Formats: sequence, C-alpha cells, structure tokens
Amino acid sequence: MTTNLEDEHSASEPETISSTESVPPRKPASFFEERPPQAMEVAPQLLRRWTRRDLLLFGSSAIAAVAAGGFLLPQTTLKRLGFIQGNKNWPKQEFLLNRTLRIDDDVAEALYSRNRLVPTYTKSQITPLKNNYNGATPDPSYIPEWRLTLDGIASGLSVSLDIRHLLVSFQLHEQVTRLVCVEGWSAIAWWAGFRFEDLLRAYPPTSQAKWARIESSVNLGPWGNPDPYFVSLDLSTAHHPQTLLATHLNGKPLTVEHGAPLRLIAPVKLGLKNIKAITRITYTKDEPADYWAKRGYSQYDGI
Amino acid sequence: MSHSTQLDHEPIATLTPGNQAGVRVVRRHYMLVRYSHWLNIPILLGLILSGVSIYWASPVYKHKPSPETGSFDPFADIGIWICAHVPGLHQYSSPPDWVYNHISLGPGMLAAALRLHWLCADLFMLNGLVFVAGSAMGGGWRSLLPRRTDLRDAFKMFRYYLGVPLSKLTRRSWLHPRFNTKYNPLQRVAYFSVPVAGLLSVLTGWALHKPMQLHWLTAIFGGYDKARVWHFWLMWILILFVVPHVILVLADGWDTLRSMIVGWSTRAERWEDF
Repeated sequence: MTTNLEDEHSASEPETISSTESVPPRKPASFFEERPPQAMEVAPQLLRRWTRRDLLLFGSSAIAAVAAGGFLLPQTTLKRLGFIQGNKNWPKQEFLLNRTLRIDDDVAEALYSRNRLVPTYTKSQITPLKNNYNGATPDPSYIPEWRLTLDGIASGLSVSLDIRHLLVSFQLHEQVTRLVCVEGWSAIAWWAGFRFEDLLRAYPPTSQAKWARIESSVNLGPWGNPDPYFVSLDLSTAHHPQTLLATHLNGKPLTVEHGAPLRLIAPVKLGLKNIKAITRITYTKDEPADYWAKRGYSQYDGI
Repeated sequence: MSHSTQLDHEPIATLTPGNQAGVRVVRRHYMLVRYSHWLNIPILLGLILSGVSIYWASPVYKHKPSPETGSFDPFADIGIWICAHVPGLHQYSSPPDWVYNHISLGPGMLAAALRLHWLCADLFMLNGLVFVAGSAMGGGWRSLLPRRTDLRDAFKMFRYYLGVPLSKLTRRSWLHPRFNTKYNPLQRVAYFSVPVAGLLSVLTGWALHKPMQLHWLTAIFGGYDKARVWHFWLMWILILFVVPHVILVLADGWDTLRSMIVGWSTRAERWEDF
C-alpha cells in the first residue's frame, strides 16, 4: 500500500515523534511476510486508563470463570475438594448441561444418514468382545420360555413370537462391524441376524409411530435383582440396513452373556443402545424413556 | 484503536496531546487473540478434568492385573505407590483412585464427565474460531508462520538457553540473540504448533465422537482405538507446552505478561531494525 508519494509526504512532516528514529517503511515481499510492528506514542494518562480498563476486565472475567467452574463442576467433585458440604442442588446447572446434551444429540441426528453404511471388517479383524452386562448376567433359564412381544403395531394387536418362528420367517444377514461403548472401548464382532427393517415390514407399526421402546425384562441389577433394561430407538435408525436383530455371534447362536436369543445390533449407536435379550418392542409416537438417559447420558447416542 | 489501518503508511502515530512526552508502545496482540488466549485456561481445564474421568472408564494403557492390588491401570499404580510412600497418605481410603481424585472430576463419574466434556468442547471450538478471527483481523498469523531461517536461528536460541546458567554463575554477559521478528524461532515453533495441536484435538475428538458417521475422519487417525491414543497424547502436548510457557513468561517479565492482557508492549526497541 505504501507509495513513494506517501513516503515523501511523511518525511516532509516532522511533527511525528522524531524522524531520526523512523525508518522508511519497506514494502512486504509477500502476503505471508511478517509486517513491521505498529509503534505509537501514547500519553501516559491515556495509557494508564487503558491499562486500568483492561486489568479490570481481566480480573472480573477471572472471577466469572472461577464462579462458572464452581457452578458447572459436579457436586461430588466439589465435595471431595472441600468447597461444599452436604447436598446443594442447582437446577439451572442441570438445565445447562442437559441443554448441551440435547444440542449434541441434534448434531448427531443431523449427521445421521439412513444411506450411509458403517465400515465393515473381515473375519480376521475380529477382536474379543467382553460381557458388559452392567448388572449380573441373567440365568439362562429364561431362554427356553423366551418370546418376543410386539406392541403398537398397525393391526392394534399384541404379537408374541418365538425364536424358531423368527429364524424361519426372516432372511439372516451377516456383518462384521465395530461396537463402540460409551466407556471408550470398542470391539469388532461378526454378527448374524435379521434386519430390523424386515420386522418392521412384516409387522408394521401404527402410522404415527416414530420411536421404538425396546425392553429386556430379564435384565438384572448388580445384586441379581430384577432391573428391566429399556432403550429408545428412533425408527429411522431401525430402518438402517445395518441395524440387525442379531441371533448369532461369531457363527454360533448368541450365548447368555451376549443376549441370547435376540439382541439389537445398531452399529450407528453406542453399545448401550444395543440392548441384549430383547423381550418386548413397543412402537410409540413420542420418544420413550431410556435407561441410561435417565442416568445422565445422551438420549440419542448416535455415533 | 481505529487508527491501526493508518500504521502501514505512518510507522509512528501519535496520541500525545500538545507537547507532552508520550510513552512509545507497540501493538503486540489483537483483542480477540487475547480473549481467546485467556479463555483457553478454564476451557482446557474443564476438558482435561472431564477427559481424565472419561479415560478412567476405559484406560488406553493397561497391563495384566497385578496379583497384589488387582490394578491394571498405570494411573492406579501411581496412586497406590504414592499412598504407600508419601507420609500422611497411608490411611487414604482408595489408593487406586488417588491420581484420578487429583487430576480429574473423580472416578465413576462418566455421565457427568461426558456432559462437561461436550460443553467445554463446544466452547473450545468456538474459542478456536475467535482465535482464527483475531489472528486474521490483527494480522498476527504472519508472525507464527515457519520460515527458512528457523533451523539456524533455533540453534542460536538453544545455545543461548544452554549458556544462561553458566553466564549467571560466572557473572559474564551472555547476550540474547537478536531477531527482526515478533517471536524468536523457538517461540514461533511453539506458538505455531499449539493451535495445530488444538485443531488436531478437535479433529480426533470428532473422530471418537462420531466414528460411524465420520468414519473417514476416524480412518485418517488410524481407526477408533488409535484416535483415542492421539487424543490422549495431544492433551499431554498441550499440558507440556503450558509448563515452559508459564515459566518463560514469568522469567521474561511483567511487560510480556501484561501485553497479553492489554495488547501493547513498551518494548519497542526490539524492532528498531525494521
């Protein structure tokens, strides 16, 4: 931007601080070249005023940041650090953090595409899959009596199906996909089962239905106490071609540790949505409750 | 500070009324860059505290469970060791949790940690945009770019730092190498790398957060499990930057620290050569 004309102009006006100090500005060699510093002469009072303003702003922001930290940190943490005693309940804190979760779920839903397939692997890439039942593993005695109940279907009836019927009615599909747990581990496993979409086609839900509530009544708590597990699943995910109602793991029928005889495999969801030992599917218009969402986790869990 | 655009034409502007002697200052940091700089402290603290709690749920680094303690996590081992050897900690209620109790929100708090991590991650990304905007508007990004003379000049700086303790002992003068740039080459490589590390933290974070919808991004980092390793070590890069950064700022003096708060510095003489 500097022209010769302006150079002469500034040189001819010696009222700037001192012409001996200043060096004629050099034109930068390229767009990327570092520019010379911008020196200026400021009256001391003005500089003091700027400094006071900026330090006050800095100090009040620091206080605000500490307050925000105290407000946002979990109670357990603050109690351990000795900042608070007893139970303090800040409903607004829950509101803000839950709001963040909702925004995050909305982003996940916007990213989801029914046509986007998840990566598949070869059988040589299979990794061990641990039994991650949160409570005790159920006693396998439920398996011979097991039936799948469907509610909220278009016929208005409640349907009860046994595993033999499901295996002969639907075509089995195989896939080697990754299961990702909210805890941070993942495993590549070889699943076989029928597509959720095929079940939806055979027993269509009511026209208003947008959600499935999937339940396992045989789930147990940590001390072996009955603790039904339930997840919400949006029907868009249920229609995904890689969302299976799995009956086999690694070429063998599911064992009790992995949810015999029927479990959900939705690779586009975190592992906690991949409910084991499904006993009931209910189609609903509104979003149903979710076991882990009630415990402070995301509701959508799209990955 | 509207006169900044004029400064390309006039190397010295004046804000001195009348004939009163003014203070000669140079602009160092653009306003938005300063804001984003300081905002990084609470945001990164929240990310690290919640991130280590998330790490606890499934440690990246594990060994075979120890026969004595049952621990498979090196962080838990460190806690056990500290509680066994540090006086006053022998009665600590849960030695394997000692490290997590001191560098995270605490163990067994995955849901709370994830929510805080998402909040801080959103703020971190927004803050990154503030930094990019500030660097572009103030033109400060040019001072961060690597240049051809960096290797040679970095060597000069290394030699300088190595000689500082010796010159203090022998009370001989040991001159700081002079550069015609805002930062010396070691500063520049650090200040260039840290935003890159921040960007990679965000990208590995997305790779872990959406490994199916963004599976191409996860693949860039070598898959889900490797992306966790990247994400973990990027945290350490940021932590390991902060330690010498704070020490050197304090060693360099009040003017340097103040310039990140107020934006200007009275050390105008460094650029006389311009």
